[in-house]
Amino acid sequence: MSFFFEVLIGGLLSGVMYSLVALGFVLIYKASGVFNFAQGAMVFFAALTYVGLLEKGLPALLALPATLAVMVALALIIERIVLRPLVNQPQITLFMATIGLTFFIEGLAQMVWGANVRGLELGLQDEPIQWVTETSGMNVSKFDLVAAGVAAILVTLLALFFSRTRIGRALRAVADDHQAALAVGIPLQQIWAIVWGVAGAVALVAGLLWGARNGVQYALTFVALKALPVLILGGFDSIPGAIVGGLIVGASEKLAEVYLGPFVGGGIEGWFSYVLALLFLLVRPEGLFGEKRIDRV
Amino acid sequence: MLYREAGQFKVSYAADQQIFSIRQDRFAVLALVAIAFLVVPVVGNQYWLSAILIPFLIFSLAALGLNILTGYAGQLSLGTAAFMAVGAFASYNFMLRIPGMPVLLAFIGGGTVAALVGILFGLPSLRIRGFYLVVATLAAQFFILWFLTKVGWITNYSSSGVITAQQIVILGYAFTTPTAKYLLVLSIVTVMALAAKNMARGNVGRSWMAVRDMDVAAEVIGIRLMRAKLLAFAVSSFYCGVAGALFAYAYLGTVEPEAFNLDLSFRILFMVIIGGVGTVLGSFLGAAFVTLLPVLLSVTVRYLDSNLDLHIAESTISNLELMVFGGLIIFFLIVEPHGLARLWQIAKEKLRLWPFPH
Amino acid sequence: MRTVERKIGAAILELEHISLAFGGVKALTDISFDVREHEIRAIIGPNGAGKSSMLNVINGVYHPQQGTITYRGTERRDMDPHRTAAQGIARTFQNIALFKGMSVLDNIMTGRNLKMHATFIEQAIWIGRARREEIENRRKVEEVIDFLEIQHIRKTPVGRLPYGLQKRVELARALAAEPSMLLLDEPMAGMNVEEKQDMCRFVLDVNEQYGTTIVLIEHDMGVVMDISDRVVVLDYGRKIGDGNPDEVRNNQAVIDAYLGVAH
Ligand SMILES: Nc1ncnc2c1ncn2[C@@H]1O[C@H](COP(=O)(O)OP(=O)(O)OP(=O)(O)O)[C@@H](O)[C@H]1O
Ligand SMILES: [Mg+2]
Repeated sequence: MSFFFEVLIGGLLSGVMYSLVALGFVLIYKASGVFNFAQGAMVFFAALTYVGLLEKGLPALLALPATLAVMVALALIIERIVLRPLVNQPQITLFMATIGLTFFIEGLAQMVWGANVRGLELGLQDEPIQWVTETSGMNVSKFDLVAAGVAAILVTLLALFFSRTRIGRALRAVADDHQAALAVGIPLQQIWAIVWGVAGAVALVAGLLWGARNGVQYALTFVALKALPVLILGGFDSIPGAIVGGLIVGASEKLAEVYLGPFVGGGIEGWFSYVLALLFLLVRPEGLFGEKRIDRV
Repeated sequence: MLYREAGQFKVSYAADQQIFSIRQDRFAVLALVAIAFLVVPVVGNQYWLSAILIPFLIFSLAALGLNILTGYAGQLSLGTAAFMAVGAFASYNFMLRIPGMPVLLAFIGGGTVAALVGILFGLPSLRIRGFYLVVATLAAQFFILWFLTKVGWITNYSSSGVITAQQIVILGYAFTTPTAKYLLVLSIVTVMALAAKNMARGNVGRSWMAVRDMDVAAEVIGIRLMRAKLLAFAVSSFYCGVAGALFAYAYLGTVEPEAFNLDLSFRILFMVIIGGVGTVLGSFLGAAFVTLLPVLLSVTVRYLDSNLDLHIAESTISNLELMVFGGLIIFFLIVEPHGLARLWQIAKEKLRLWPFPH
Repeated sequence: MRTVERKIGAAILELEHISLAFGGVKALTDISFDVREHEIRAIIGPNGAGKSSMLNVINGVYHPQQGTITYRGTERRDMDPHRTAAQGIARTFQNIALFKGMSVLDNIMTGRNLKMHATFIEQAIWIGRARREEIENRRKVEEVIDFLEIQHIRKTPVGRLPYGLQKRVELARALAAEPSMLLLDEPMAGMNVEEKQDMCRFVLDVNEQYGTTIVLIEHDMGVVMDISDRVVVLDYGRKIGDGNPDEVRNNQAVIDAYLGVAH
């Protein structure tokens, strides 16, 4: 039984990391209705830039704000060059544009920083917490716990940002109704720029954590793919949904791998969450938190 | 004479409904097909035939398949490569397990199995749309590849999941040379492209486009959404399946499931976007572009490299390729969402008026 | 063209005690009325009264929680769009619902999809039945095109047409199905006087020449009173009036609803 909980907790904690990536999607989707497939590439780009700057001899304390600046700048450029010309295009078109963006960013990142796999040291060990192991016999990774903590703090900050600040409230208005927001004088493009900037920052945090855990490499971009089922479960525009969805995906895929995997030859982590999301969709097409809608004609 | 339609009056609806209703177009296409069949095999060298033209034709077919689903029926898919894989591995098993199986029949069988799998993964499209459907097709992409790797029977228990395609023999003739393979692929692709064009201009095509453009209205005029969507998944997957089979049999020879990864799916999606969403011609233009661009890029970079002494690494070229593709996708979506096919059409319209601009 | 003598027949569509709600919003509450063969039946009412919802119930886009619908003798809980179309009910939409990526001709051809039976394989090979059907139905579509006077835009992508013409193409698509009942949701909204007159003429012609029963939603009272045989009035999802134009015009509840008297 304690093994079950160990797997479950491990899964939940890594689920928080999925949530972190999903959060970047949700932010942008909420504000501009764009499903930003390039979020994963941004995560990769952030991690690579940070490591690259460290390699160039920059101290961590300088590299971090520098990377943040780069990410925000990148996000602003994307908003300006890619999204603005595509306003009012069908969502699918925007989605495909962000697929193009993904390729572009991945190419750019590797062109600038090289493609070799690099480690990222945050001073956190991926080792069991002794105290927990002694008292309950379960192995809970220190790294996972801290990462989950960071994610939790970030989510809380964002939630506060959305509910308490003027920009946050304007953003919610934009998410509800673009036309109406424009009509009451909310500067849409400014809002989009801010949101893309924030998404860039979220990508940085996710990139650092994922990079430290799996190494900074091309495979990081696949983390973004994992965020998709998370979004399906939680809904594209719900921050709590991203969190809950992440937890469900993290926990269920670890449990499935451990308990189901051996029967089918293993390796089911790659698709389990997709099939889970798919089955879920068939039962509830509107997502966990979404309302059932009937198209108006 | 020049490119003019003056004097060509349609005297019947049949004439008006022809695939190429302008005479010059008809000639041009016939000429192109004739060149492809008669001239290219004679003048084309081994490298061009087997490394450029054969994959170009196969990718055109796959892009056509995706275009039927995404361009005509409006259902975005990121699982194209997986359906190709199904076609390839199913054909392999038909050949392997049924003695005396004609290879063309095996390709059709492979396409049919792919169509069935396509229908299965298309089922969610009845309840979900847009991005949600993208997830369904991604599930297909990951699940199918995993399945092909894990079930040893499919790859005849080969150690690393690699299969070696049997030789193509039709009526006792073995298609071993690049020229022979090229002609075979060209024939299959020509026939299937014609069939796609026919479907597109007929009632099925209109039903697909109706579902794509406004599904409620489509339903109200009597189109069955379920049938139209599943048919699109089936036909599309059939095309992809046959393309996958040709990929294994006429291009690679030996192939593993990993060859049909997500990257290939993206590549084919790019062909559709760059070539032109919802056009048959666009599938070919897009495939040509995506096949040729890397060649062109590496030639150019190497040329610059040797002349300017830049010491450009091999990896730089592949990264450059990523950037160019990404940039082009964005460029086309912004500037010409209808792709190369539309540019071609505009050029023709200009030509029709030339040299008098009005 | 076949001309049916314009004689209003018996009720062919009966709606009884229809109620429809979206979550908490009651779009329709206990509504009953009927439509007689060959008549022009108008549905009027202020914005949000539930007129469009009513049409959506009739052709099966919305499914009412309560009530029954009897069409040509068959009683049902609700309709489904495909069956409704197969039984000869066609419609246009309030917000134009044309197929944007297709030409005018192709849009109208889709209206005849139920008349085409060739399988996709026959169509792929383009022989026999597929080819024949394409030509036969094209002929019928050309009749509709002539009738609505849109020959000149046949090959134009619908997206490039001005609003008024788009509405006309949508009508053409519905007519191509040779419906016996036509549901029109504000066919003249947003049109200038001239376009309105044309549209009126078409509606009347359809009704007279083909004997098509018409259910019409319209805000322009002049038009409604002019061309309809009977009028249903809805307000806040309830029926507040039903009768011929004169009766409705003099109905106090209707006058109040239109003048915005408090409830
Ligand atoms: N699909 C839907 N989902 C939720 N509410 C709906 C839907 N369709 C209609 N409604 C609601 O039902 C009520 C009636 O709407 P309906 O469109 O039928 O009115 P209408 O009489 O056609 O108005 P208008 O003259 O503005 O077209 C409105 O309150 C509307 O908001
Ligand atoms: Mg309405």
